[in-house]
Amino acid sequence: MADKLNVSRRTFIGVGAAAVGATAIAANMGPPPGGQGGPGMGPPPMAKNEPVVDPESFESNSFEADVLVIGSGIAGLFAAVKAHDAGAKVVMVSKGRLGSSGLTPFGKGIFVYDKNNPTMSEEDFISKLSTSAIGTNNPVFGQQLLDHSADRVAELREWGFFDSPLCNESFSVPIKERKIPVMERIMMTHLHKEQGRVVGASGFSMDRNEILNFSAKTVILCTGSGGFKPNGFPMCDLTHDGTIMAYNIGAKVTGKEWNDGHPGTAENSASCYDNWHGQIEEKPGTTGPEIHHDLGVGTNYTAYVKGGPVSMGPGAEDVKGGPWVPEEFQRSGPPGGGDGDNQMMGPPPGGSDQSTFSAIFSKLTGKASAPNGPPGMGGESVGGSTAGMAIHKSEGLVPIDENGLTTIPGLWASGDALGSYMAGGIYTQIGGSMAGSAIQGALAGVAAAEASKQVDKIAIPAQKLSETREEILAPLKRETGYKPSWVTQVLQSVMIPNFVLYIKKERMMNAALAYVEELKEHHGPMMMASDRHHLRLAHETMNMIITAEMKMKASIMRTESRCSHYRLDYPEIDYENWNCWINIEKGDDGEMKFSKQDWSVWPPEFAQA
Amino acid sequence: MAINEIAGCIGCETCVKSCPTDVIQMDYEKKRAYIAYPEDCQICHLCRLYCPVDAISITPEKSIPVIVSWR
Repeated sequence: MADKLNVSRRTFIGVGAAAVGATAIAANMGPPPGGQGGPGMGPPPMAKNEPVVDPESFESNSFEADVLVIGSGIAGLFAAVKAHDAGAKVVMVSKGRLGSSGLTPFGKGIFVYDKNNPTMSEEDFISKLSTSAIGTNNPVFGQQLLDHSADRVAELREWGFFDSPLCNESFSVPIKERKIPVMERIMMTHLHKEQGRVVGASGFSMDRNEILNFSAKTVILCTGSGGFKPNGFPMCDLTHDGTIMAYNIGAKVTGKEWNDGHPGTAENSASCYDNWHGQIEEKPGTTGPEIHHDLGVGTNYTAYVKGGPVSMGPGAEDVKGGPWVPEEFQRSGPPGGGDGDNQMMGPPPGGSDQSTFSAIFSKLTGKASAPNGPPGMGGESVGGSTAGMAIHKSEGLVPIDENGLTTIPGLWASGDALGSYMAGGIYTQIGGSMAGSAIQGALAGVAAAEASKQVDKIAIPAQKLSETREEILAPLKRETGYKPSWVTQVLQSVMIPNFVLYIKKERMMNAALAYVEELKEHHGPMMMASDRHHLRLAHETMNMIITAEMKMKASIMRTESRCSHYRLDYPEIDYENWNCWINIEKGDDGEMKFSKQDWSVWPPEFAQA
Repeated sequence: MAINEIAGCIGCETCVKSCPTDVIQMDYEKKRAYIAYPEDCQICHLCRLYCPVDAISITPEKSIPVIVSWR
C-alpha cells in the first residue's frame, strides 16, 4: 500500500494534545460524556483527519498544448475538434469522462434551425426571444443559434449522437479520428496567468497521487455551470469550477442573480433518474423554434405563498402576484405540466397542449399527458432541484467578443461556463442550451487555435507551481478541521430555502450572506480531506461557497424583479436603472467588486481596454 | 440507499469512469468495482446504463444526512 501514510507520529501528537485539552475540561467541568477509556477519562471523541493517501507522495507532472480544453461535455467536444481542425495541438482534460459528466448526458433535445425551410423567420425568432427575456438576452449569441445549429447537429448526426441514449461513444468518434488526447478524472483547480495572459492550468488526478500542470498558449473553459450539489438534478459534479478558477485570476463573471427554478418531485426527491421518469434512457432528438418564458421562480413563489408541496399545473392560478410574465407568454397550466410561471393567466400559445415544462432540457415527446420529463412533472413538487444554477448561459465568464473570449487574454469560455446571455435570464428555447454549447464551443475552438499561432509559450514559474501544489494538497495535510460534506450541508441549508435563493428580500439575503462569509473566511480554509475523493469535495465546496457569495451580493444589488430574479421588496421591473447586467471581479484587495454592463453597448466598453 | 449493489462485475472499470460524482472505485486485487462513496450518488443511473453486463442495481431512495452542529 504505497498510499498508506505512516501516521504514528501524527497520531501520537494529536492524541497527546487532545488529552491535555480533555484534562483541562475535566478539571473545570467534570467528566466529559462518552470519553474513551472509561467514564470521566480520556479525550472527547474528536475526529482526527487520518489521510489514507500521503500528500508528500504526489508526483508533479507537466503537459503541453497549444489549446487546453477543460471539460468534456458537448461544448468541450466541439472546442477540441474545431481547434484541432484549425491546426492546433489540443489536449482535453475532464473531471469526468468524455460525454459522461456535467449536464450533457442528460440533454435530450438539441435545437436546430433550418434556414431553407424555417417555421419562424430569423427576425421573429430574435424578436420573440428578446421579448421573453425582457431585454436580458444578448442577440449576438441568439443569432448564432440560427446561423450554426444546423451544421453542428449535422456533425453530431454523423458521429452517431442521435443513435444512442449514451454519448461517450459518439463523442469518441471525432476525438479518436483526430487522435486528440483526453485526460479524464482530473479535478482542475487553478488557472495560471503571466504577463497579463493565461499560460496554463493545474489540477490533480482522481486515480493516482498526481498533480498535473498544463502549459498552454490558450485555454478554453468548457466547465459547465454548477450548483450547490442539489438533490434531484444530475449536476452534483458541477460546482462552477471553471468560473471560480477564472475569477481567481481576475476574470469578470456575470449572471449570478438569475435562477433556474426547476422543482423536484416530493417522492424520492434525490433520485435524478426517477425525477426524469426514465428519460435518461431515451435517445436524443431535435427541437425547432418555439419561444417560451419558462423555468423562472413562479413555482417557488406559489410554494412560498401557499406552502408546499405544490401540485403542478391547474390550481396554481389562484395565487396572485409573483414574477411577471410578458403578455404573449402568459398561459394556463397545460395538462400535467406548467412550470407555475403562469399566475397571470392567458391562453396557451398556439393552442398547444404540449407541456413546455415537460420538454424543458429535453426533447418534445408528443406525450402531453404522460409523466415524461425532467423534475417537477407529475405528482407533488418540492423546490430547489437545481439550486445554485442560473438559467443556462446567463451565468459564467463575461464574453468580450462573439467567440467567447473572456476578459483575460488567451482565455475563452463556452457553453454553460460562458455568461453569453444567449437566452437571457429566462429559459426561452427548448433544446437551445445544448445547441448553444455546441456552437459556442466550436467558435471558441477556432478562435483559440488562431490565437495560439500568434503567441509564444510563456513558462509557468516554478515558484507558482510550488504554491499551487501546496494549495491543492492543503486539505490532506490538515490534522483537524471540517469535513467538506458538512460544510456543503451547512451551505445548502443556508442557501436552498426558497425564501433565500428564489423569493428574495434584502434582510434574508444579508442574513444568508453572513453565514456564507463565515464559511468562506473560517470553515473553507479549514476543510480537510482523507483521500482524493474528499480532496475533490474540499475544492468543489470552496467553489460553491464563493458562488453563494456572488449570488447573494448580486441579488442584493439588483433592486428590481425581472425574469428569474424575483424580489419581494422590489417586485417591479426597473427599466430606468436595470437595463444592464451585473459583472463581478476580484479586486486588488481580494474583495468582490460589482459593476453594471449596459445592454446597449456591444462589444462592451472594457473590451477595448 | 442509492447505488446499492454491483454483482457479476467483470472489472472493466467503465462504471468508475462513467460516474460523474466519483462514487465507484476499483479494487485492483479482486479485479472488480465497489461502491466507495454511496453518500455522493446522485442516482442518475449512468453507471448502470454504461455497464456492459448489467451488474449494477440502484434504488431511488437516499437517506440524506441530517444537519448537525459540527462533524
